[in-house]
Amino acid sequence: MNEKTSQKDLETLSNDKSLNESNRRDFFKKTAAFSMTALAGTSLLSATDALADDPAIMHHVPWGQKLGDPVTKNRYGIPSAYEHNNIRRNTKLLASGNFQASIAVCPLHESEGIITPNGLFFSRSHGGTAHIDPNMFRLMIHGLVEKDIVLTLDQLKRYPRVTRTHFIECPANGGQEWRGPQFNSLQFAKGFMSSAEWTGVYIKTILEDLGLKPDARWMLAEGSDNSEMGRTIPIDKVLDDAMLVWGQNGEALRPEQGYPVRLLVPGWEGNLCVKWLKRLEFASEPFYCKEETAKYTALKKTGKAIQHFYANEVNSTVVSPSPEKPWTDLKDGDLIEIEGLAWSGMGTITGVDLSFDGGRNYVTAHLKGLVLPKSWTRWSYMHTYKKGEVLLLTSRAMDDAGYIQPTVDEETEILGVEGVYHRNGVETWEVTAEGEVNHVQIRS
Amino acid sequence: MFKLDRKLIVSASAVTIAALFTAGCVKSEATAGPAEATYANGKVTIDGGLYYPVVDGKTGPYLVNTQKQSGFTYGRTPTANEIAAWDKDVMPDGTGLPEGSGSVEEGEEIYEAQCVMCHGDFGSGGGGYPALAQGNAYEGQKTLTNQRTTPDKDGPIRVFGTYWPQASTMWWYIQSGMPHPKTKSLSNDETYALTAYMLNLNQMEIDGELVDDDYVLDREKFLKIKMPNEKGFEPNIDGPTALEDVRAYYSVPENFGAQKVKPSERCMTDCQKETAKVATIQNGGISDFLPPISVVRDLPVEEGETVAGKDDYESSCAVCHVDSSMGAPAVGDKAAWEKLKGKGVDAILANAINGFGGMPPRGGTDLSDAKMKDAVDYMINASK
Repeated sequence: MNEKTSQKDLETLSNDKSLNESNRRDFFKKTAAFSMTALAGTSLLSATDALADDPAIMHHVPWGQKLGDPVTKNRYGIPSAYEHNNIRRNTKLLASGNFQASIAVCPLHESEGIITPNGLFFSRSHGGTAHIDPNMFRLMIHGLVEKDIVLTLDQLKRYPRVTRTHFIECPANGGQEWRGPQFNSLQFAKGFMSSAEWTGVYIKTILEDLGLKPDARWMLAEGSDNSEMGRTIPIDKVLDDAMLVWGQNGEALRPEQGYPVRLLVPGWEGNLCVKWLKRLEFASEPFYCKEETAKYTALKKTGKAIQHFYANEVNSTVVSPSPEKPWTDLKDGDLIEIEGLAWSGMGTITGVDLSFDGGRNYVTAHLKGLVLPKSWTRWSYMHTYKKGEVLLLTSRAMDDAGYIQPTVDEETEILGVEGVYHRNGVETWEVTAEGEVNHVQIRS
Repeated sequence: MFKLDRKLIVSASAVTIAALFTAGCVKSEATAGPAEATYANGKVTIDGGLYYPVVDGKTGPYLVNTQKQSGFTYGRTPTANEIAAWDKDVMPDGTGLPEGSGSVEEGEEIYEAQCVMCHGDFGSGGGGYPALAQGNAYEGQKTLTNQRTTPDKDGPIRVFGTYWPQASTMWWYIQSGMPHPKTKSLSNDETYALTAYMLNLNQMEIDGELVDDDYVLDREKFLKIKMPNEKGFEPNIDGPTALEDVRAYYSVPENFGAQKVKPSERCMTDCQKETAKVATIQNGGISDFLPPISVVRDLPVEEGETVAGKDDYESSCAVCHVDSSMGAPAVGDKAAWEKLKGKGVDAILANAINGFGGMPPRGGTDLSDAKMKDAVDYMINASK
């Protein structure tokens, strides 16, 4: 600190308490000049004396002196231009040719809380994002019901609304890493999921009036998009908490999320939450849809594959630090929050443990904020950083259905390494002596 | 596609609507009862998860709307024609499968014109699109126990012939979701022909007879197809016991690699196997992220105006030209395009319009000559 300069600033301020507009301008001009002097001088001073006045504080900022945008600009608000790197990303590995049967993943390293902004919600489709004219939207419900029905969008939205916060996760989240870590990135290692507050109607409410026939065991949900994405849902889930949703975080679904209406089967594989919905058919036998064959089945080492693999099991990850947001700027002795996400498609998160040695020994982390069923849950552990320490940060979550995340070894011993889907073994970040963060796995 | 006579149901429902609205209708027990009744009766959930019953007006943390929630009169009954127009699914027992026929030869012709650009020669795959065949299906099915536990090992072959449980899926898929750039455009006969070609590529048999190059497939023969891996899946999902079979399967955590533990008994010290080591990302892993990862907060570089032909390129041409994996000159590959330009820009356009090598006329699109020119110009300019 250049003591003289700061002393003079204080004097100027206290000696003239009735600064008029022009005096104030002079004052800031002078201050700016002084601080430039201060900056120039500091390089010669020792480290402890090196604090200069921050130009971001000492200077006028451009936005502080000119008028801002009128409220008439951006009738639909958009993020600050400076946030342009907070975006979905994709990779050719996970794409069919031209990215129309593909996935763009969610920037978890920049995500806050337990709600994903609609523009950042991960986007996966099997034939590109369809753009549906809501006036031509029709939902047909037929098959083994006493009464078939066709609803327009307006009619569907007359039903009593239910609002729930749930994550949607692609069961291939982490599916590239059965044989070892592949992505040195939180966004790609865990970003095949997002979370939102959904609004719609319980299907059971509609069925109450339509009437299910006794042998209705399965429901086909089919989209109207290029791929006519379809999946078979067992009636138990339909009559429990499955919803037809049109609202996402307080507004209409985004086209990438199935505008105007998608199915929501809370906690279950994302692809079951069929987008651009057009038809629900009830039947006594399952439909063997295209995405229930080579895709979305988990091949075990026995050679048998799990089909109709519904719920995303209990899972967690450290989100801060991450490969994208390392600890390279931390000083010795800094108190730092290790923050993470935990989620389960089978219930509510009851606890998260954190390990500093790759899952050998654990301490109990702290849940925080809202803890909701089949929802992202934030957790925290306060850590005093020791410069040069090497850590293996591993988190492990539990849910109220009684499940706990397995180790990588425990999971692969049962399932093998060719399953692709539903990998929920514990994940590990290596923190290097320099504070860089790398994705590793602890396995035999 | 359900099996009961639709007309019967429609007419019956017309009679029963009034009664349904007043009485509610989910009356049947056991299999069709509402989940509240099912789960409240002590049954576990079908997915192995926890069920949140409504207790004191709440399900979990959410308040439940306990007012009247039935008796809505929105919507209308669809006509029989409307249901027929949308009810196009094909089930394993043949429900929904129309009459028709097509030969392997016809299938190959359609495949070469409309499918090969994505699925590769003889269904070999490429460009991120799935392979459809990989040798003999019966032999390939035996690879499903393969595990790539070391880099030198072959993985399991998961193509239509070796893996899929039902052939009905392929017929339905081809007709509803293929060809990718123009779905729902194939006739029933064309779909039979392509299915026949799929079976041929996978060297499959129907009723003991090899689907050879002269084979003609029809509905009757189709229903006799037995997929090699029909029994390769768990849990059982067929028949009247299906839901209970699924429920039983997911009530055993070991079946699907899950672990249950009492929180007080979970491991807190010395929880890893002695053999467990730190496995790091090998050979750089996967890092072709688009766009590259950055956490910098600065102003973005302004993007230019929309260029003529760019949209058509992206929706119609990029399928094959985004990279060289489909054998087409990749946009951005200067050398490849310089070579093409040696023939003259007009020749490139003519080839694009008339078809050339593996490329069908207009790349299988219905773009006009003018739009084709814009798209070709765009690709040339983007490859300078």
